[in-house]
Amino acid sequence: MYYLDLLIEYLKNYMKTRLTYRADFWVEVISDLLFQATNFIFILVIFMHTDSLGGWNQNEVVFVYGFFMVPFGVFSCFVNMWGFSERYIVKGEMDRILTRPAHNLFQIFLENVDPPSLVGSFIGLIVMAISGSNLGLPFEWWTLPMLIILTLSAVAIYTGIYTTLTSLSFYSDAPTGILPLMYNIQTYGRYPVTIYNRAIQVLLTWIIPFAFVGIYPAALFLHRDEMRGMALLTPIVGVVFLSIGLMAWSFGVKRYKGAGS
Amino acid sequence: MNAIQVQDLRKTFKVQKNREGLKGAFADLFKRQYTEVTAVKDISFSIPQGEICGYIGENGAGKSTTIKMLTGILVPTAGSLSVGGFVPYEEREKFVQNIGVVFGQRSQLWWDIGVIESFQLLRKVYRVPEQDFKKRLDELVERLELQELLNRPVRKLSLGQRMRCELVAALLHNPSILFLDEPTIGLDIVVKSEIREFLKDMNREHGTTILLTTHDLQDIEALCSRVIMLDDGRIIYDGGLEDLKQRWGTGREVQFQFGTATKLQQLIAWTEGMPVTWTAENELAAKVWIPLELNVSDVLGRVVGQADITDIKIIETNTDDIVRSIYQSGSAEKPEERIAALSDEKEAQHV
Repeated sequence: MYYLDLLIEYLKNYMKTRLTYRADFWVEVISDLLFQATNFIFILVIFMHTDSLGGWNQNEVVFVYGFFMVPFGVFSCFVNMWGFSERYIVKGEMDRILTRPAHNLFQIFLENVDPPSLVGSFIGLIVMAISGSNLGLPFEWWTLPMLIILTLSAVAIYTGIYTTLTSLSFYSDAPTGILPLMYNIQTYGRYPVTIYNRAIQVLLTWIIPFAFVGIYPAALFLHRDEMRGMALLTPIVGVVFLSIGLMAWSFGVKRYKGAGS
Repeated sequence: MNAIQVQDLRKTFKVQKNREGLKGAFADLFKRQYTEVTAVKDISFSIPQGEICGYIGENGAGKSTTIKMLTGILVPTAGSLSVGGFVPYEEREKFVQNIGVVFGQRSQLWWDIGVIESFQLLRKVYRVPEQDFKKRLDELVERLELQELLNRPVRKLSLGQRMRCELVAALLHNPSILFLDEPTIGLDIVVKSEIREFLKDMNREHGTTILLTTHDLQDIEALCSRVIMLDDGRIIYDGGLEDLKQRWGTGREVQFQFGTATKLQQLIAWTEGMPVTWTAENELAAKVWIPLELNVSDVLGRVVGQADITDIKIIETNTDDIVRSIYQSGSAEKPEERIAALSDEKEAQHV
């Protein structure tokens, strides 16, 4: 309740500052959308050359892409850790965070909320609806609850992975270049994993489980029975990776060295 | 009850050694070398509730590191500490509810929004009930004359205005212990004295325990009943400011201007039997050094009646000088030894 209260309060303040820079807000939304559009066009180009990608047709791949956008948008809105090392470690703003009576990681999430990213989630839902109806997917009683559960699980996976990686900043003085690398790898998760070789499949499933933020959960809605087991595993993977992330974080905070005087 | 209790506190940092040159940088890439730097070396002290304590020392003496351990930001390497009944780094979120922190070089406030909105946000963060908040805010705003600033964004405030707002931000939740890290840095004299007055009032009215670090010794003179001096991670002095002056102020100097020529031998003869040292600049000006245990008036009494004096000036060593010489020597113990050595010398001369 306390944290929900804080979230609303921070969002209000975000709006207050952002409404003074309205142009900024729209530039961000549009550049986000353009970024997604280029990816989307890439999928269309592939299917101009082939009818099936590892046994998945165009509408199915587009549907997976649509699903992928939903948790990613939510994640980018509420868990934005770009520039953590720069802002909180190098400039020492972590000091301020640690002297306030709310969980430190949560405060960092709050201070970096980025509501424009949510637009991506809405576009994702529209993409899912369109490709879903092209495929004639039935809307079952469990569709909506499952969509919410799987989205939250996927957000938990993202948060876990990025929190773990970001907590490395507590050990290394120099900002690491590992985050952009992850951003690249995560895009692999929105294509059918079966098109990759075995090693990459294992990597995407068990080590950095980005297959669980795109293809596996989406397969549930596509009635792809070969991946149903994996889809249902998503919440568990989410809990596991989120726990790892939080543990790595609290361990890292104890090692925080502060900056300057 | 002690507000702050520190026992054998130590903090060690691992610092990367950067080897020289491109080759060195390349070698660092594969095998890092670390050196251990101990910023705070087994210090112990306790501060009773309601005390204002100054924490001073040169840059890099370990002041900020100590403050950061006391506020729960850093986890100590060894030793125990208890602040307001909590171990700061263990129950951080509960603990910080009870303390206020002002870092002079960093802001607590949100840059782009109005000051009052920052305060509102902090109210939520600290879970201060609306009524308490109103009362407290009115009181602080009145006291620090912030009425006109409340709706301005922080980035449009001057440093002095901002610092006053920072103080309000740190005190909104009525903490019982206040930590101030260089609160008057870069401020003009008027704002400085305003802030000092305010802190004194806070301490008197609410019994707030205050620990402040500063480089401005006037802060200390105006506020603190007690000083802890740190050098190279160790406490070299812990006690009252007056004691420090007594111990370190080795004596006073009196400068005389004479109307008629007065010989040095004459002056020495007048003060026969007193452990004073005369030096003459010329026949019309001389100065005498008087150790602490001797009354200045006794010396003056001997001279005034006999010489034709046009001007007298008494110079007392000020705190700045005292602290500077302590920093330079790196220990607060030395002066006594030096006085002892000095008096030995004198006795030898008398014999």
